[in-house]
Amino acid sequence: MAGGAPVSRLAATDHKKTAAKVGIASLCFFLLSGLLALTMRAELAQPGLQFVSDHTYDELFTMHGSGMIYLFLTPAALGLGLYLVPLQVGASQVAAPRLALFGFWLYLLGGLTMYSGFLTDNGAGDDSWTATIPLSNSSGTPGVGMDLWVIGVALAVFGSLLIAITILLTVLRLRAPGMTMLRLPVFSWTMLVTTFMVVASFPVLVVAMALLLAERHLGGVFTGSTGSIVYQHLFWFYGHPVVYVMFFPFVGAVAETVATFSRKRFFGYRALVVSLLFFTALSMAVWGHHMFITGAVKNQYYSLTSTLLAVPAGIEYLDLIGTMIGGALVFRAPMLFALGFIVQFLIGGLTGIIVASPPLDYHVNGTYFIVAHFHYTLFAGSLFGLLAGVHYWFPKATGAMLRERLAKASFWVLAAGANLTFFPMFFLGYDGMPRRVADYEPRLGDLNLLSSIGAGVIAIGVLMVLANLAVSLRRRVPAGNDPWGAQTLEWWTSSPPPADNFTTLPRIDSYAPLLDLREREEEAAEPAVEVPA
Amino acid sequence: MSGSTRSDFASVWSLYLWIGIGVAVLVFGAVGFAVVRYRERPGRAPSRRAELNLLEGTVAALILAIVALLVFRTFSTEAKEDDSSAVGAVRIDVDAFQWGWKFTYPGEGVTVVGDSDHEPDFAVPAGRTVSFALTSSDVIHAMWIPGQRFKKDAIPGRTNRFDLEFGTRGREQGLCSEFCGLRHSNMRFGVWILSQASYERWLAAHR
Repeated sequence: MAGGAPVSRLAATDHKKTAAKVGIASLCFFLLSGLLALTMRAELAQPGLQFVSDHTYDELFTMHGSGMIYLFLTPAALGLGLYLVPLQVGASQVAAPRLALFGFWLYLLGGLTMYSGFLTDNGAGDDSWTATIPLSNSSGTPGVGMDLWVIGVALAVFGSLLIAITILLTVLRLRAPGMTMLRLPVFSWTMLVTTFMVVASFPVLVVAMALLLAERHLGGVFTGSTGSIVYQHLFWFYGHPVVYVMFFPFVGAVAETVATFSRKRFFGYRALVVSLLFFTALSMAVWGHHMFITGAVKNQYYSLTSTLLAVPAGIEYLDLIGTMIGGALVFRAPMLFALGFIVQFLIGGLTGIIVASPPLDYHVNGTYFIVAHFHYTLFAGSLFGLLAGVHYWFPKATGAMLRERLAKASFWVLAAGANLTFFPMFFLGYDGMPRRVADYEPRLGDLNLLSSIGAGVIAIGVLMVLANLAVSLRRRVPAGNDPWGAQTLEWWTSSPPPADNFTTLPRIDSYAPLLDLREREEEAAEPAVEVPA
Repeated sequence: MSGSTRSDFASVWSLYLWIGIGVAVLVFGAVGFAVVRYRERPGRAPSRRAELNLLEGTVAALILAIVALLVFRTFSTEAKEDDSSAVGAVRIDVDAFQWGWKFTYPGEGVTVVGDSDHEPDFAVPAGRTVSFALTSSDVIHAMWIPGQRFKKDAIPGRTNRFDLEFGTRGREQGLCSEFCGLRHSNMRFGVWILSQASYERWLAAHR
């Protein structure tokens, strides 16, 4: 990033620089949306209204959820892919680098547009991240803030779509000689299937937002007894695949981390590839499970497809654990975050099977049980997977090591905070607390207080991570090309990689070329053993 | 349908919950085992085995069998809960609005209305099937009675029909569980579950 006038820096098309911009922007949106969550938890610490009004609370949860999904986890996942996929496949650049840069600017513009709603008279969007019709039409939610929300979502999602397209093209078109599809590193496979889902589902949301804007200003789009149902179909056709867009890349990051720190190649590679493809196909056929209580979809069908997700998910778990079995495990900070992901995501996954059953969903739908479920997947799962990736690839991207002890301490604080915050929510939802409420029955006060204390602990953990990034960038401990003894091509080149990524490439005849290299060296070094006759 | 959604829920829930806990114990155990048994020690070389497709197939088949069991139980319970064809049931029409509820007893001349400032209480006879016809006059709401482990969306222009059978006498708290705007947090109602005689007295008092 050093050198160059500001303008040329902003216009640089190198995938690593665009990815860094995406990373920094998504970090900022994470912090902003996290502050909104802290404000919500402060309000919810006790029954009654203490700090904010009902209306402000509606803005808070809307912008928290929208910020985290549209502006943080999705772009962060794609940014990670934009940085790593060209390196992992041995390409000198991403395909269509200017499209990726354009995607970043659209996403940033979308985020700023969405957040600028706070500056308008009626405040920011306040219809939750789903903006259900007819509440989100012009009579249900008048005001410019909501329009800005709709436009912001469309821009951000369209920008993410463009970035995803460049990653997809890179995998399909720019692999180095020898890098066949079945030698693609696990992370790149997860990005490939992620971008499949993005291409298939994100355009639908962009269209839905355009239609919502038309509904708000012209009317007559989502009308009658079917209008609200049609909107939900459009929304969830995007809204469920995006859940896996915010999951697969982090499974990939965790898989790479676990393989490296088990000193062993990833176990069950081909089974994982098949399971990812199966998962991706199913992901396009489960959206109706968000509509079990509408009485307007065939619940059995969506229950069947959703429950079937347990099969590929189980294979992923088998392969992650199978990689560790028989390994020589080293518990560096990235590995701790990866283990945190594996253990905590499971709670989110298993409760996901519960809510895939309509008779059970009839009770917990729209309650804090759901809030607990998806925070175990997205926070205790995906965010820990992202942090595994950040701690793992930070030395590659910056050339500097992170402080190990601080990183490990931040892991334990975040894990304690996450479980303290989100586990009580299962009981709150089961016991009768709906989501999206600023106030609740006094009998639910203790568990809410516990959850709010947990949110404070999370905030401390996040500050520790930020401090680590700052200290490690300021007082640099050089990383070298491959500080971990890793297995994939990005560790072959210098840290940070040069503009064209590689000056040379090693032989590629598996998905772990650097491990192959070390194993060949070991074999060459071993004295020849006489074979008994 | 016959029987209460509460007991239907309880049996499906315990099946899912115990299988979930079993799987969690198995996975946590496997992770714990790997972490303790395979930590790096001098002189131990990591295994080079990278595939065991028989194991993958076995695990996939096992999970598929569990999925089949879960889906089977879900489908049979769902079929029961979706059946709203009970005859001789108590009928109650529910109209949700921002931010309150209107409960009408067709043919009885009884209507109860209340909003976020005065939550309405309606009454049902214990042990009899109650057929609800639920709709909304403005945005989408959801009628949730946590004690019955049941909710359904109230959607403008549509009518959702469902049957409930209330058991234990007393008052149960109900609330809106679909975000519906400013006073969503306070959109509540109560259900009085009464004996047949008290229920009829309640009806008479509200005519």
